[in-house]
Amino acid sequence: MYAGSEGPGARVHTGLFVIWASGMKLQQNHFEIFGLPVAFEVDRQALAKRYRELQQEFHPDRFAAKSEREQMLSMQYAAQINEANNTLKDPVQRAAYLLQLAGVEINPEQTTADGEFLMQQMILRERLEEVRDASNPESELEVLSVEAGELLKAQEQAFSSALAANALDEAKGALLKLQFLAKLQSQLEALEEDLFD
Amino acid sequence: MALLQISEPGQTPEPHQSKRAVGIDLGTTNSLVASVRSGSAEALPAEDGSVILPSAVRYTESGVQVGLAARAAAGDDPFNTLISIKRLMGRGLADVKSFGDQLPYHFGEDTGGMPSIETVAGAVNPVQVSAEILKVLAKRGADSLGGELDGAVITVPAYFDDAQRQATKDAAKLAGLKVLRLLNEPTAAAVAYGLDKSDEGGDVADRTVAVYDLGGGTFDISILRLSRGVFEVLSTGGDSALGGDDFDRAVGEWIAAEAGLGSDLDAATQRKLLNTACAAKEALAEADSIAIEYGSWSGALSREKLAELLDPLISKTLRACKRALRDAGLTAEDIAEVVLVGGSTRTLRVREKVEEFFGRKPHADIDPDQVVAIGAALQADVLVGNKSREDLLLLDVIPLSLGLETMGGLTEKLIHRNTTIPVAKAQEFTTFKDGQTAMAIHVVQGERELEKDCRSLARFELRGIPPMVAGAAHIRVTFQVDADGLLSVSAVEKSSGVAAEITVKPSYGLEDSDITRMLQDSYAHAEEDVVARALREAQVEAERSMEAMLVALQEDGAELLSNEELDELERAMEALRLAHNGGTAEEIRSRVEALNTLSEPFAGRRMDKSIKRAMQGHSLDEFDQS
Repeated sequence: MYAGSEGPGARVHTGLFVIWASGMKLQQNHFEIFGLPVAFEVDRQALAKRYRELQQEFHPDRFAAKSEREQMLSMQYAAQINEANNTLKDPVQRAAYLLQLAGVEINPEQTTADGEFLMQQMILRERLEEVRDASNPESELEVLSVEAGELLKAQEQAFSSALAANALDEAKGALLKLQFLAKLQSQLEALEEDLFD
Repeated sequence: MALLQISEPGQTPEPHQSKRAVGIDLGTTNSLVASVRSGSAEALPAEDGSVILPSAVRYTESGVQVGLAARAAAGDDPFNTLISIKRLMGRGLADVKSFGDQLPYHFGEDTGGMPSIETVAGAVNPVQVSAEILKVLAKRGADSLGGELDGAVITVPAYFDDAQRQATKDAAKLAGLKVLRLLNEPTAAAVAYGLDKSDEGGDVADRTVAVYDLGGGTFDISILRLSRGVFEVLSTGGDSALGGDDFDRAVGEWIAAEAGLGSDLDAATQRKLLNTACAAKEALAEADSIAIEYGSWSGALSREKLAELLDPLISKTLRACKRALRDAGLTAEDIAEVVLVGGSTRTLRVREKVEEFFGRKPHADIDPDQVVAIGAALQADVLVGNKSREDLLLLDVIPLSLGLETMGGLTEKLIHRNTTIPVAKAQEFTTFKDGQTAMAIHVVQGERELEKDCRSLARFELRGIPPMVAGAAHIRVTFQVDADGLLSVSAVEKSSGVAAEITVKPSYGLEDSDITRMLQDSYAHAEEDVVARALREAQVEAERSMEAMLVALQEDGAELLSNEELDELERAMEALRLAHNGGTAEEIRSRVEALNTLSEPFAGRRMDKSIKRAMQGHSLDEFDQS
């Protein structure tokens, strides 16, 4: 930690880092940016198409010969369009964002209290750890991946119908489980990389 | 796409002359410059007709040599002849030491986080050396195109981290180039092949392309999705310290072992050995086996033996291909096209292994040494505004994750690799002591969990936090990565209602003052007039600003500005015009700055207007279906 202060409002401009003006934002929410209905089901094709149309318009490449200010604004808009796209593309992030729009707070530390679900997760993780020593790790990993994928699908459906029915507590419960399953899936992928590369 | 047109009919600014823009491939081994002339992109030749400029710089007591002459001297004058300098771009002295004895140079003290190299002409750093290469290419471009360049697209390996990209941009600045964009080399190659265009003129569905780029010193693999003018980078991977030089080294070591040379070779011998190895490797593209003579030793190298020597290195590239495919969520079967880039892909064994891995014959019709520069030239032509805006859009990704050091030397990823850029992520911090007015943030780049395994990018000091009780300050730090892949950071304390801006001090990289000093150093060498150069640069900047403003006013001035605002802007323009015609560099710069500040609200309104226009194609109903 350091003592001392240079006072508010000071700006630095160095070779590496340029402080940029903050506060320029598109006013629409992520769904509105892409002209999509606010819902868990997303038309992936429409999203991809609209995303490209917007980037055709706002990407900094379109402003490379324009003034510095316009370049900066386009960078900020394009960043926001990218952020919106990334959020909507990913089911877990999308679900969390939908709850946020509905005014539900999600504490990153919070986890599901569903005992049965947790037990199931524990068993899945034990099996994950045993893959390495299995006689045929590849097929065991495949079996696990399929199972995890099905669980994820089911939980997505649970989230979607809860949200549609405006049962926000239930939707939040489904999201917490979704996060678990998404993490499991990334662990499966990491293990696959580890084992077969 | 009609709804995305920004200019109204009749309001289009008068057609201007086409601008002079070039694409530059600043390579480890060779560099090139290319440009679009009468509709097609071509590499620009030097006076002697050669298009390739060896990336070799030799410092002598009387001046600087760049290119072939410098490379030829590498064997006899290894300490003053700097080759493969790109490997040192954005690297610290510690990195350089980790290259071991591969580099024969005498390294001096760090300057601005960079190693310096002792030569007969004094100490130089990698940015200065690269700038020498860029100067030659810029001059070639200006000579070929008949005037000062309006801008350049410079390519970098997709794998380059922030420091390496920044060093490249600094080198361009030092060479007096306006950088329109830093472009990933493999992306440039895909652009050169125009793979988004359909074969029979009809629409093509999306297709994925793998660009395998094995240069002299770097390997890159990029997985791109192409569709109707949009190039989307799905993932990139590679190794910034693996290339044809390593092939030469492997062959060189084999020759040394066969010839019974010791392992402790001096720099000149090493270089000669590498030259022999390189020639042998190239000859095996034609012949099945070739005879080698080195000193009193003579022997033969067969294709089989070469394959045996190279396969471990080629396998490393294929493992990176596999990782990049996984990042893109694809397998080798999903790849519709494979493009070969880089001189090292001429090696037959590389082509065989790549074809085997992807299960299809790779594209290699365009000279693999020129393909990157040609793609960069095409993109430069678009960015400078010569070509219709709907032709080409590149959506690129950040190659390495950005993270923050947390407690216990761990890192927390903030922006994951292969996230499309530009991107911004905000993170909140708080103070843990009463009255604390500053805190330190350590930004790292890399994929590993431990801070010490990642590349340290910068240690920021946040200063100027209003004194409060512990935990009361809410400091929102925003990390922004721009379209060149460069990071900037801003911080705001927001608990006090009024957001106070906080000063961020980076600890790594060149300060503007360093660049100015290096500029002056280089002028001292070239005996150029510093003042005249600075004035010309300020004038060019003024011309750019005035032209951009004129276009903006023509398009939107009447609609978006009050008469009063219009008057003010026109007065600022007039003041700039006067300064441009007779003022000093400093006067011009301050007028440009004044005009920019004054036009900020106008620029904002113009962006808002284009947003609204872009939204118009979609009825409001679509937003209300929730």
